[in-house]
Amino acid sequence: MTTAPPTPPGAAATPVSPTARQLWGRARGLLLAAAVLALAGLVIAALRSGEQHGLLDPRSADRYGSRATAELLADRGVDTTVATTVAEATQALGPDTTLLVANPDLLSARQQSALRAAAFDSGGRTVLLAPGPASLDTLAPDVRAVEPASVEVLSPGCDAPYARRAGAAELGGITYTTSASSVEACYPSGDLPTLLRLPAETGDGDTVVLGAPDLLYNHRLDDHGNASLALQLLGSRPHLVWYLPSLDDATATDGGDESFFDLIPSGWRWGALQLAIAAVLAALWRARRLGPLVPERLPVAVPASEATEGRARLYRQANARERAAEALRSAARARIAPLAGVPTAQAHRSEALCPAVAARTGDDGIQIHGLLFGPAPADDEALVRLADRLDLLERRITPSPRDKDRTP
Amino acid sequence: MALTGRTALIAALGALLVGFLLPSWTGLLAVELTLLLAILYDLGRAAPVRKLLFTRSGDTSVRLGEPAEVRLTVTNPTGRPLRAHLRDAWPPSVWTAGSEITASRHRLTVPGGERRRLTTQLRPTRRGDHHAARVTVRSYGPLGLAARQGSHSVPWTVRVLPAFNSRKHLPSRLSRLRELDGRTSVLTRGEGTEFDSLREYIPGDDTRSIDWRATARQSTVAVRTWRPERDRRILAVLDTGRTSAGRVGDIPRLDAAMDAALLLAALSARAGDRFDLLAYDRQVRAAVQGRTAHDLLPALVTTMAPLEPALIESDARGMASTILRNAPQRSLVVLFTGLEPSPVEEGLLPVIPLLTQRHTVVVASVADPRIEEMATARGTLDAVYGAAAAARTQAERRHTASRLRRRGVTVVDATPDEIAPALADAYLALKAAGRL
Repeated sequence: MTTAPPTPPGAAATPVSPTARQLWGRARGLLLAAAVLALAGLVIAALRSGEQHGLLDPRSADRYGSRATAELLADRGVDTTVATTVAEATQALGPDTTLLVANPDLLSARQQSALRAAAFDSGGRTVLLAPGPASLDTLAPDVRAVEPASVEVLSPGCDAPYARRAGAAELGGITYTTSASSVEACYPSGDLPTLLRLPAETGDGDTVVLGAPDLLYNHRLDDHGNASLALQLLGSRPHLVWYLPSLDDATATDGGDESFFDLIPSGWRWGALQLAIAAVLAALWRARRLGPLVPERLPVAVPASEATEGRARLYRQANARERAAEALRSAARARIAPLAGVPTAQAHRSEALCPAVAARTGDDGIQIHGLLFGPAPADDEALVRLADRLDLLERRITPSPRDKDRTP
Repeated sequence: MALTGRTALIAALGALLVGFLLPSWTGLLAVELTLLLAILYDLGRAAPVRKLLFTRSGDTSVRLGEPAEVRLTVTNPTGRPLRAHLRDAWPPSVWTAGSEITASRHRLTVPGGERRRLTTQLRPTRRGDHHAARVTVRSYGPLGLAARQGSHSVPWTVRVLPAFNSRKHLPSRLSRLRELDGRTSVLTRGEGTEFDSLREYIPGDDTRSIDWRATARQSTVAVRTWRPERDRRILAVLDTGRTSAGRVGDIPRLDAAMDAALLLAALSARAGDRFDLLAYDRQVRAAVQGRTAHDLLPALVTTMAPLEPALIESDARGMASTILRNAPQRSLVVLFTGLEPSPVEEGLLPVIPLLTQRHTVVVASVADPRIEEMATARGTLDAVYGAAAAARTQAERRHTASRLRRRGVTVVDATPDEIAPALADAYLALKAAGRL
């Protein structure tokens, strides 16, 4: 025998699972890569998070923070309270209070009306920084935002004392019109003002609308009359409530209904967390396979008839009726010739085959000729019919067992 | 390491505890720490997988289509009892489709210091050598929360031999062979038939076979008897090139050819002839030579078992020279190859005269029953075009066969079911005619 016999039974069995050391060796590179990736992410996050961080926050010393304003106000005896929810803001309000709303467009309608009611009741001053149409309707119903304008150094353009004292300041942003009377409209950009002071109808409260918050930014405060204008607007009362809208304000949602989660026991969050851990454990349980998949070299499976079937499809696609008919006729002639007593060598000669077949079947010789040697069928139906007629002729010429009995 | 469903279930039940009694980090940590400790305890108490010892025994060869048993002995040398799931992994084709999971998985318990034997039932669906992949054990701890998992390589090979389905035709062909044996020369008198013995004349014997010289020496009329030639040589050549890879039914042509070769070998061994085998495409893939009748069939099946068709064009010239080298005396050369027109015309036809010069050549080709099916299909346009294409293919095969016959080759062209008996008949006919 030339081939090797099967491997001897009982060859040594060896463990093939990796040891802990091998696992560590294998995972080391990946772990290192993951650590590098996480570190890089942290570094990039630290480097790139900056510009807009603490925007208009009186505690932030960033370029866009407002700590300088708060410090200047503190020097002049104005204490600043930072509020992040409507509840905090309204609680801190009083007649000697200025309420600064940093980004009024972010407030929901419910928050806006709560804020408006509290500010109206207190009789203090309300300063709105760049309110758009979304907040003006509730917070300053008499004012309408007209169009955006570029932020640039504008001259006061009005007789208000604070504007005259401050002189040119950086304003713009949004231009406003108002339908209220006794309004101080200052710092026009084009024809329309970007600063409005609307006195309340009763009491000595008022509302100040600023088109742009730029003059409060740390890096802009000491330009032009920015600081002067800011201090006069915000320092008119001894207390300042600096309201920065935030997402963790529960009153932000408009719907007053209690949700599903408010109605179930408060421990559900912890229970759900524990369930999630259980789900992870279940995933680990199901994911662990009992050994790896076994690969196998399989032979190619090529049907031997593929070429013939391909040829059939080509005939079909090309509508090769002529070729198909010729193949069928030729095969039929080869089968019929020995039955009709014609030598195989002469099977494809019309003058030899047709008379013999005609003699056997008693049919018209011309008809037989048309069937076995005729022109290509004109359409698909004729081709199918031709195949059937060839079969019929072959059956008629084949001696059936009964015929043999009849002709002794 | 692996976890169990029990771990997940306990963690899920812990959600009730956390949710209702201790909804805080404390509750969460309490549940998780308890679970973690239990898992660690379980892992610590589970029998180590690396220290297990394995040995195999059982079948090393099996005929295709029959089941084989491979036994695996698991020894647990540690003091801890082993409760485990075990997977005895084999390539997919040793199982019948769909039974892999149930057949390869075992559940076992081995107390410390003892051994247990498992039996894996294989039912190969493909010829050739199948190697055991690996044994994976998942050893559970006493709580059933976690398991250690590991694998061992426990080598074993099961050689799956050709099915030799055509052996059912052997008895009828053997009886034909016996008929041939001892026939008087009346029917089989030919140039090669061998003189066997003299016997008394019985009315009905051919008078031409009376041996007058012997009759003169004794008082009765003696006639000569003849027997078919013995100790002839047969060389079966399997073409393992690309044409042998095509599937007829659901087996490759090569497998059908092997089946026919085995029947021929069994028959010729009984008839007292020498049978050799050669598998060739562009080089010799396998060869069986000089075997006695006794160990011929086992040698053939083990040689054929790992033989696979190669997807390359066969080299007919090289094949012819190898045949001539391997068969210096006059032999019956049986070529198992295709009758596709282009390989035969370009490869085989030019070298046929080299072979027929010295040998009797039979070309055995496996026809595709699908072609015959297509040739008789009617009714739809697709079927008729298919019939036309099939008729064309058949005509080409017939033409190739007739060209081979004109060069003195005997051509056997039959479907996989019929090729083995048809080839045996052709062999018997040649033997009867004394053409070996």
